[in-house]
Amino acid sequence: MKLLDITKEIGTATYGYPFEPYEVPEGFRGKPEYTYDKCIGCAACAIACPPNAINVTYDKNEDKLKWEFDCGRCIFCGRCEEVCPTNAIELSQEYEMAVKFNKNDLLTKGYLNTVKCRICNKPFTTERLVNYTLERMKAAGMDINDQIIQNLHTCPECKKEKAVEKFVKTSRFGGVK
Amino acid sequence: MALGDRFINKLKEKIKVRDIQRNPYDQITLTVDRNDLPEAVRMLYYDMGGWLVSMVPNDEREMNGHYALYYILSMEGGKMTPEDELPQEEKCWITVKAYIPQDDLHYPSVTRKVPAAVWYEREAYDMLGLIADGLPDTRRLVLPDDWPDGIYPLRKDAMDYRYRPDPYPEEEEPDYKFLEPEGAGVVDVPWGPLHITSDEPGHFRLFVDGETIIDADYRLYYQHRGMEKLAENRMNYDQMGFLAERVCGICGFAHSIACIEAAERAVGIEVPKRAQAIRVMCLEIERLHSHLLNIGLACEVTGNVTAFMHIFRVREYSMELAQLVTGGRKTYGNVMVGGVRRDMTAEESKKALELVDKIEKYTKEVWDAVMEDDNQINRWKGVGILDRQVARDFSPVGPNMRGSGFKRDTRYDHPYDVLKEIDFEVAVEDGCDVLSRETVRYKEVMESLKIIRQCIEIMPGGAIFIKPQTLIKPGAFAIGNDEAPRGENIHWVMHGNAQKVYRWRCRAATYNNWPSLRYQFQGNDISDAALIVCSLDPCYSCTERVTVVDVKTKKAKIVTNKELKQYCRNLNDSPLKK
Repeated sequence: MKLLDITKEIGTATYGYPFEPYEVPEGFRGKPEYTYDKCIGCAACAIACPPNAINVTYDKNEDKLKWEFDCGRCIFCGRCEEVCPTNAIELSQEYEMAVKFNKNDLLTKGYLNTVKCRICNKPFTTERLVNYTLERMKAAGMDINDQIIQNLHTCPECKKEKAVEKFVKTSRFGGVK
Repeated sequence: MALGDRFINKLKEKIKVRDIQRNPYDQITLTVDRNDLPEAVRMLYYDMGGWLVSMVPNDEREMNGHYALYYILSMEGGKMTPEDELPQEEKCWITVKAYIPQDDLHYPSVTRKVPAAVWYEREAYDMLGLIADGLPDTRRLVLPDDWPDGIYPLRKDAMDYRYRPDPYPEEEEPDYKFLEPEGAGVVDVPWGPLHITSDEPGHFRLFVDGETIIDADYRLYYQHRGMEKLAENRMNYDQMGFLAERVCGICGFAHSIACIEAAERAVGIEVPKRAQAIRVMCLEIERLHSHLLNIGLACEVTGNVTAFMHIFRVREYSMELAQLVTGGRKTYGNVMVGGVRRDMTAEESKKALELVDKIEKYTKEVWDAVMEDDNQINRWKGVGILDRQVARDFSPVGPNMRGSGFKRDTRYDHPYDVLKEIDFEVAVEDGCDVLSRETVRYKEVMESLKIIRQCIEIMPGGAIFIKPQTLIKPGAFAIGNDEAPRGENIHWVMHGNAQKVYRWRCRAATYNNWPSLRYQFQGNDISDAALIVCSLDPCYSCTERVTVVDVKTKKAKIVTNKELKQYCRNLNDSPLKK
């Protein structure tokens, strides 16, 4: 039979994996790798992630922002890599992800220090994100004054309230006289 | 005269068309009274050469206080003879739409006039509670048999997820009513819940007389995942493509393209040409590996394991090609509304072309060797005949259809974007049997390689992604189509507000192939049953065993997957005789 001739000609067609490494091409989408030092806790990855593999929550016990990645849910689409402003998360060439017995081994976590609102004292963002914003503003050639720094330390809700207050005070209609 | 006017005028002679809408230009939506539905669909289907590609039941109570049905027809000519085909510039999509008031959920069944609508109308009852009067088969299709009455998941207000009805106790669980053919000596062979060639769930019942199958019935949807509902509830457009890609484990990319295309067409987004070329190329790469998989399985299920191994060796190159171009072996995940996410470098193009050459050479070599083997050909020839009239009635798609001499290929009938510039031939065979279907697949592998080469050649430089400016247009809807390896995939997307879809209807290729399978089984030996299902390249998530029912004695017997597969390979030691 001709097929057997082909077999003879081809010889071994299989790879020696797992006894020898299997080479993946450059640009292979493997396990996302998290660089804690670069992460600013902006949660862009958590919003983009289609299967909710990345979650960013406030951890009450630690009083820190918890960045958590569950590799068991990951679909390796690489959206997180695309949206990350600081390249803190990048897809690697890693494809061996099995864990033994403990599903928690699939989790990657990072805790970030929070900033509390100067008015209501609730944690609302991370120190790194505030610093990152300041740096970007400096790089854009803006003058950093106290007003800006105060603004950066106010949570969105308080900002909203302040804006409403200001509006009510200055407004001609129905304003407080 | 605008595109499609000829059909509309003809339709108007008998039926009152209340509204005509065009968006985009080749997708025409006609609104008719619900009582005119069957006749309107029949006229378009049989008199004017349409094919039923999908039906979308939709809950539009928030928008206009009604439910709506959309029967989508692809106007391309009956194709029963080579002349019976519309000229290329007249081909279009015509959707027949009818409103159903919320206080009277009945509509006349189209199935009586156009049999292809049977599954769609069964599904419309399951999902939205719309009742087709006169539907010959009113059994459940999608939802499990123990699903509580009165809950219709796709209604916008129906699902309160806190509500968890008590499950039925095991002994009270209602059974699915399988067909029961009459006659002496008919044996009922239950086959499932796992399919024996592709290891996916589906329960088949084969009614056999001796060794000959006289009829078949099947229960599928053991793996309904509620994706349409999921997309409506929590996904935005950027995330939906990834969900659509997970509809299928083999031809997933075709789903994500169809889904994204539908969303794009509804609001008229044009993606850059380079992105179009990459999309088309990835679709063809997917076809390569899927077809090689199926040809391999068709050999394996008839016992030709050597050929199977060789074909899988070749298939590995197509996986490597995918890995190179997209970064993933199976899930490519590189498409989003507005273009594609991953560009190709010159280096990658060069390597891809080398792989394409390799695949071409090896596939040809192995296929020629398989075709020299008379034993193999005899197992395929004359088996699982898809009669041409049955095919016309049920609108099957893909190689299943092209193996019966119909030149139906959505890349050819409704080309879009860069596909218009690409030169390829539609593979058609006239044998109607398994051999024809596999030959079509082989030819298509060769055509795919040709298309990949052309894509790399004509791919212009420039952007691969544009930022879509007009994404939300609540109420706008469109059809997205592409030719997946198993046949055309039709996705229908209606935009909602807040960056979410209002309704997403995904119609996978195999959905249209299942209803006609029953006729393909009839008259064949039970030893070929596995092969016939395999030649359909079914896409469903299959059973460990088959039940055989003897019509004479009414005895049911359970045949295991292993036994049946063994029998299919060796053709002796029939498991029925034990």
